[in-house]
Amino acid sequence: MANLSVNLCGVELKNPVIPASGTFGFGREYDELYDISVLGGVATKGLTLAPRAGNLVPRIAESRGVILNAVGLQNPGVDAFLEHDLEWLKSKTRVVANVAGSTLEDYGAICARLDGKVDFIELNISCPNVKCGGMAFGIRPDSIREVTKISKSNLKKTPLIVKLSPNVESIVMNARAAQEGGADALSLVNTFTGMAIDVERRAPIIANNTGGVSGAGIKPIAVRMVYEAAHAVSIPVVGMGGITCAEDALEFMMAGAVAVEVGTQNFTDAFACPKIIEGLNLWCEKHGVKNLSEIVNTLRLHG
Amino acid sequence: MRELTVTVLENKKIAEEIYSLTFATEETVAVRAGQFCMIGVGEKPLRRPLAVCKAEGERITVCYRLKGEGTRKLAFDYKAGEKLSVLMPLGNGFYLDDTQKKIAIVGGGVGIFPLVAAIRQYAKSKRLYAYMGFRNRDALCMEYELERCERAVFASDDGSFGFHGNAVEAFCNDLLHEKFDAVLACGPTPMLRALKTSLKGTGIPCYVSLEERMGCGIGACLVCVCNLTDGAHARVCKDGPVFEINEVEL
Repeated sequence: MANLSVNLCGVELKNPVIPASGTFGFGREYDELYDISVLGGVATKGLTLAPRAGNLVPRIAESRGVILNAVGLQNPGVDAFLEHDLEWLKSKTRVVANVAGSTLEDYGAICARLDGKVDFIELNISCPNVKCGGMAFGIRPDSIREVTKISKSNLKKTPLIVKLSPNVESIVMNARAAQEGGADALSLVNTFTGMAIDVERRAPIIANNTGGVSGAGIKPIAVRMVYEAAHAVSIPVVGMGGITCAEDALEFMMAGAVAVEVGTQNFTDAFACPKIIEGLNLWCEKHGVKNLSEIVNTLRLHG
Repeated sequence: MRELTVTVLENKKIAEEIYSLTFATEETVAVRAGQFCMIGVGEKPLRRPLAVCKAEGERITVCYRLKGEGTRKLAFDYKAGEKLSVLMPLGNGFYLDDTQKKIAIVGGGVGIFPLVAAIRQYAKSKRLYAYMGFRNRDALCMEYELERCERAVFASDDGSFGFHGNAVEAFCNDLLHEKFDAVLACGPTPMLRALKTSLKGTGIPCYVSLEERMGCGIGACLVCVCNLTDGAHARVCKDGPVFEINEVEL
């Protein structure tokens, strides 16, 4: 058995595989299928200060190799999570609390509420599916710097991961802005804004009209963005976007990611994450890699 | 709830655009009528949620309408002997208590298939009256299953056979002189809305199985929600798919 553990902001994960926010709830449902303590961590459903009802249905559509979703941050609110789910989830694995807000004050307040209680905060400034939140902060470097700064100032103990949107002018500028704002790490990519149309109805399939595109089809773009971001900052990067197997996870790690998140593939294969962990171990054994973390940022570029 | 690798036994057309897929599980899976499975179809990112129509030990049958790429792929690429990945059983299913003896079963379109499971589950212990709507004669299927009921009314939208009209109209004719203890229903939303209206003030409980586009199918992703009348959301896949008709907004 290879050593799959990785260190993210001083916190050890037993392996680099984390189910991505929004695909895994707070872990309870998947724990009915397998013991989720095998995971490196769990990124929670996006949390807001007050409960949110989310968007109208349909909230999901499929296209070749990808899906689109527009759930709209439905969640029971941070207090319900703290009361009902956190203790259980902490007993299983590392907790990455994904948080979103509509105002700068929201971000500050929710970070303060979770500080010291979770292993990481993942700042969702890139949700493409809500009008008043998230994305508004995630497009331009100056607002990324600002929302990161206020979030960080409310965190005394818990490391801050800023989750970046790919729907931007320059991923490099935005990655640097998050670092300047005080981010301890970055995660990327969130979903690409897209549209899928039902030609019989001449209408978008998703009630929100547009949705976030994720799944295997976005992987090459995500790998390129992770590579660019990881080489533009000195803080660690968590890579995601279309990971379906161990080799996909390795691509992100070689491109510079310390850990990875797996989203859409959980829908295709409910056992995707444990299979990827097992696949990483097999790959390491086959290639004589004793510590998986050795492969991070080992890309050999041509010419 | 488990993930199973199953073997296709039969996958055949049973009516216009309707296919019946029977697969074998390696061991017996206990399935309640109204529960469903998520079937992985090749490289498609999303599994297809399909209600169980028949569960006979290790033989499970689901039926589906050819609707898009996924269901076409399922129909044409999976012949007897092929393997499929299936998550099942999922959702809550239909529950009737011992005091509910005389049951109306109202279905339309692909909604008849989970109701066939209910008929098979309750045919011996309850008095079942079925009202099933089909578009036309080409859509007719599962007659022999429906005839397990004490009374089975077949309705066709175009009058090409049976009662000329929809299933709810056929049900309402009997509701004038029959006293039902409960109703089980599944079908297109307009049909369920009409049913809700027709049951208003009768005090008869009605359990409807809802359909929604799903992500994970196990309650984690909050994609397939419905609105409850108290303003909250419920997950069709995990809290449902069966709800009391007055609990949900249709």
